Parts: sequence; structure tokens; C-alpha cells
Amino acid sequence: MKPRFLIVFLKEFRETLRDRRSLGLLALFTFIYPVMLGYMLNQQIERATRPEREGIALSVIGAAKAPTLMAMLKQKNVTITDLPPTTDEQIEALLHGRKIAAVLRLSDNFTADYAAMRPARIELWYNSASDLDARRRDIDEILQVYSSNIAGARLLAHGVSPTTMAPIKLQRYDTGSTAARSAGVIGSILGFLFFPAFICCVSAAVDSTAGERERRSLEVLMSQPAHAWELIVGKWLAAGALSVIGITLELALAHAILIWLPLEEIGMSWRVTSGDLALVCLVSMPLCMFAAGLQIAIAMNAKSFKEAQSTLSFISLVPMVPGVVVSMLDLKTATWMYLVPMLSNQTLLREISKGESVGSLPFVLTFASSAIAALAAVAFASWRMKSERYVLAV
Amino acid sequence: MIQVHEVRKHFGAVQALGGVSFTAQDGQITALLGPNGAGKTTLLRLLVGLLKRDHGSIAVDGVDPAVHPIAVRANIGFLTDQFGLYERLSTREYLTYFGELHGMGKPALAARIDEVSTLLQMDDILERRSKGFSQGQRIKVAMARTLLHRPRHLLLDEPSRGLDVMSTRALRVALAALRDDGCCVIMATHVMQEVSHLCDDVIVIAKGFTVAQGSPQQLCERTGIASLEDAFVSLVGTDEGMLA
Repeated sequence: MKPRFLIVFLKEFRETLRDRRSLGLLALFTFIYPVMLGYMLNQQIERATRPEREGIALSVIGAAKAPTLMAMLKQKNVTITDLPPTTDEQIEALLHGRKIAAVLRLSDNFTADYAAMRPARIELWYNSASDLDARRRDIDEILQVYSSNIAGARLLAHGVSPTTMAPIKLQRYDTGSTAARSAGVIGSILGFLFFPAFICCVSAAVDSTAGERERRSLEVLMSQPAHAWELIVGKWLAAGALSVIGITLELALAHAILIWLPLEEIGMSWRVTSGDLALVCLVSMPLCMFAAGLQIAIAMNAKSFKEAQSTLSFISLVPMVPGVVVSMLDLKTATWMYLVPMLSNQTLLREISKGESVGSLPFVLTFASSAIAALAAVAFASWRMKSERYVLAV
Repeated sequence: MIQVHEVRKHFGAVQALGGVSFTAQDGQITALLGPNGAGKTTLLRLLVGLLKRDHGSIAVDGVDPAVHPIAVRANIGFLTDQFGLYERLSTREYLTYFGELHGMGKPALAARIDEVSTLLQMDDILERRSKGFSQGQRIKVAMARTLLHRPRHLLLDEPSRGLDVMSTRALRVALAALRDDGCCVIMATHVMQEVSHLCDDVIVIAKGFTVAQGSPQQLCERTGIASLEDAFVSLVGTDEGMLA
């Protein structure tokens, strides 16, 4: 005879496979998340590897009025395209195309004003929402330099030293490197890789407890010759199995993407071998089972599917807190971190991704901490289901 | 045989059962009559060991459900006031699930499913998923689940509610067959006609106490009232239960 928890497991699992909502969540987090991650990183790599000042594209209206300025811009590697007189709307449309960094418009009486030493008006049109806005600042700077050069020449013509115009000399030093910027990025990416452990099982956990209670089939089930723990364990295994499948697929896919991307370009590393990853997947199984156990222990007390879902959407965020706190406080990796479910998995993967050998203790601790928490959650749920107060509320 | 003696149960300050005693014999259909809120559901839950009594004794074929709930449940078919169907399972899958929970083997189970399906005239819905089933179809599936493991004891909470005339007849035939098999059937109901037609014994409970036990005829004689319905009202002491 099949053990009863196995019977419950098989039935719940079959039911879940027929539930589009569960499968949808599973697919969303296993496929879309790693792909999104790959896309974001790829964007970052492209941006980092794009040569600096690689031709800033600038459109100018009335370029012929200021040949010196144009010469200076070209010298600074700005590609200039001449535009015929254009309306404001056309300029806006041009900037929204995000091909050019900015548009310069020289006013009609630019030449006359310039010759008469009145301020000659130049309009700088730009789109601050575009990622080309940094380039616009370069153009800004060039214009400033041009302006002070002319001012210097005019002062010199009047017998005044141009240095009067420059009471201070500013020199900028930027110590931020792409590598330092990316270090934070990989931390947060790894943190979120384990989040689906809590998402993939939520639908099954809620449906098999609060859902069954709402549909009033739980009393029937509890009147069968099966112990409360057998029912709970069956439901727990079914929900946990979804998370295990989800996390394993997701980690494998993320691994494939991270290996394929030239991460060294942005100072990140992914020195994880497939063997390492298999081990990480293995020690993440208890995390999945903990997620399922915790959700069942909580969801079974809710009177309806909706109530359980709203409670769980909050609870599922709690395991992320230690990881966020550690990265905010910028704590160094310590052994205690391997004792906190979720944080332990994040820390383990981060250390491995640096290419460091971590030894076996972190693996064992990561596995054991979640496994113990999972068993505690299941024990609590079984105890709860047996209690008279629960029977009455069903 | 189910023997209940002086069973009491309270939830906090509320006394659900104040003293219930009766004996339901094998080979008999025993009706459990009582107004809403009389404690019928609590009593049935005590009998399957879902709740623990405060006082008294219960024996289902000599086994105490509070001590050996699993053994008692293995020998009880319990039709609750809820059907407890699963919308994503077909009737056959549903019955297989509960049959397996009762430890039935695959071949025996398949044969038994066909048997109860014929008995309850539900062959047409056997392979369908229960989403969209009518009230009658739902109760048939639940009834099939109750009978599946050939329990010696049946606890039925209003088994004929929502059934049309044909299905009610089929159910009566099924119950009569079970009685002839020697099963002990306890049936909570509000349909007096069903009680007079079908039941050999009647237990009347009100406000948590057994107020009478006997055959429908004995109850009428005891109260000196010819109609069972009026006899019941007189035993319960008020007609509020019938209005509720």
C-alpha cells in the first residue's frame, strides 16, 4: 500500500498541474526572470563598452553663422549635421527619436549680435529623459569653453588679461570605476535569484489549504483515516516540488546566461562551474521546502484564498530582509550568514561566483538551516491541523 | 454498532452537547432528528474523532474514536453537510483518491467504483470533472465516496437534500441494501416522510440533550400524536426548529 502522504502528494500535484495560475507563475519566474536579468546586464555591458565620445551626434540649425564654434565642436569629436530652419515641434520629434544628443539653434541675428558684441543667442534643445543626456553635458561644456575663449580674446583686445575672468581653476577627479558600480549590481541580482522559491509554490500552498477550506472540502479530507501530518506532508511536498522545479530551472537558465555574457567588461565575475551550480541547486532544495512549509502553516489559518494570498504576499518578502540589511550595512561575509535561510543561499552563491573555494561547511549549513526551518513549519502545521480549534473553524 | 453514553461537549462557555445517549444497532437505519443548532454536527464530529468529548463514552464497534480515530474512520463512511469535491479532478479520480486513502488496492478500487456508480446511477458523470455539476450530481459523488470503502457504519448528514425524485428513490434503495447488508446507518435529516418510510429507529436531540429514542411508531404512541412531525415538535418542546 502507498503511504498516505504520497497519495495526498500525487493528488495535489496532479491538481496543481491542471491549475493554470500555478503553472503561469512557475513559467513567469523560471523563464522570464533570468531572461530579463540577461537583458539588463547586456544593456549595461553595451553601455560600458561603448567608446567614450564616440561621435556625439549633434544637429545644428544655422551652422554657417558660427564657423569657429563648428570647427571647435568637430575638433572635440562631435558629428554635426546641418538642419534647415525647423519648427519647435520638429525639433522635439527629432530628440524623441533618441538618435541625436541635442539640437543647437543659432538665432537669426546671431551674426549681427556677435559682431556688435551683444550676447548672441544659441538655443540648446535636449531630452533629459534620454540616456544620451550625458553627451549633452559634454556639448554644454564645449559651449562654455568656446564662450570663455571668445571673452578672453575680447578682453585681450581691450588690454585686459583673460585670467581676470578665471579667479579659480577647477580640476575634477572621478574615482568611481565601472567595477565598483557593478559590484553592487551583482549582489542584488544574486539576492533576487532565490526569490522565486517563495513565489512558485505560493499558489499550490494556498489552494491546497485555504482554498480547500474555502471550498469546504477540508472537513471531508480530515475525516479520512489519515493522520493530520500525513495530509500536511502530502500538501507540503506538492507545493515544495513546484518550487524545487522552478528554482532549479531558473538557476540553470540564469547560469547559462551569465556564462554567455562578457561580464568581465563591467567588472563582474561568474566563476561558477556547472558542478558548483548543481550543488547550489541541491542545497537550495530545503529553502524551497521551507518556503512551502511556511506558506502552508500560514495559509491553512486563512478562511479564504484571497485572505491567504494577501497575507503571504507580505510574508514572502520577509526572507529577503536579512539579505537587504546585510548589503545595506555592507557587512563582510561571516559564518553566521549561512545559518539564515535565504541569506545563506545568497551568500553562498555570491562567494562561489567570485571564484573562491568556500569549503563544505557553508554548503552543509545552508542545507541544514533551511531543512530544520522547513521541518519546524511542517510540525507546526500538523499540530495546528490536529487542534480542536482548527477543526471547529473548518 | 454505535454506542453513545452521556456525552457532553462544550466550546468555551457554550454547551453544544449536555448529555447525549443512544445506541444505533447494526442492520438498522437510525434517524437523527433535531432542530438546527441541536448539536447534530458536533455529535457526528465526535463520532469520527475530529473533536474530543468532555464527558461520557463513545464506542464504534467497541472502539473509542477519541483514542483510535484512524481505526474508527476506516470503518465509517461520513457524508458531511459539505460535499467536498475537487473541481479539477474527474469523479473517477476523486473516488480513487479517497479509496487509496482508505488503503484500497487498484484493481479492487476500480471494480468498487463501477459498483457504486451503478448503485447510484451516476455512470454518466464518472469521467467528468466536477466543475459545473448540479447539486444532485454533487451529492451523488459525495455519497459514492462515502460508500466506497464498504464501511460498516454510515454517518449521513442530510443525504437527500437537493436530489430529484428519481435520485431520492435510488438513494433509498441503496440505503435499504446497506441495511440488509448489516450496516449501521445514522442519518441526520429534516424530512419526516423519509424518516417514517425508511428509518427503523429515531433519536431526537434538542439543545444538546437526547429527548427520545424509539421507532417512529413508538414516538407517536409516546406523545399520543398520530403524525410524526407533530410528535417531533411536541418532543422538542417548541416549533422554532421547524421554522428555522
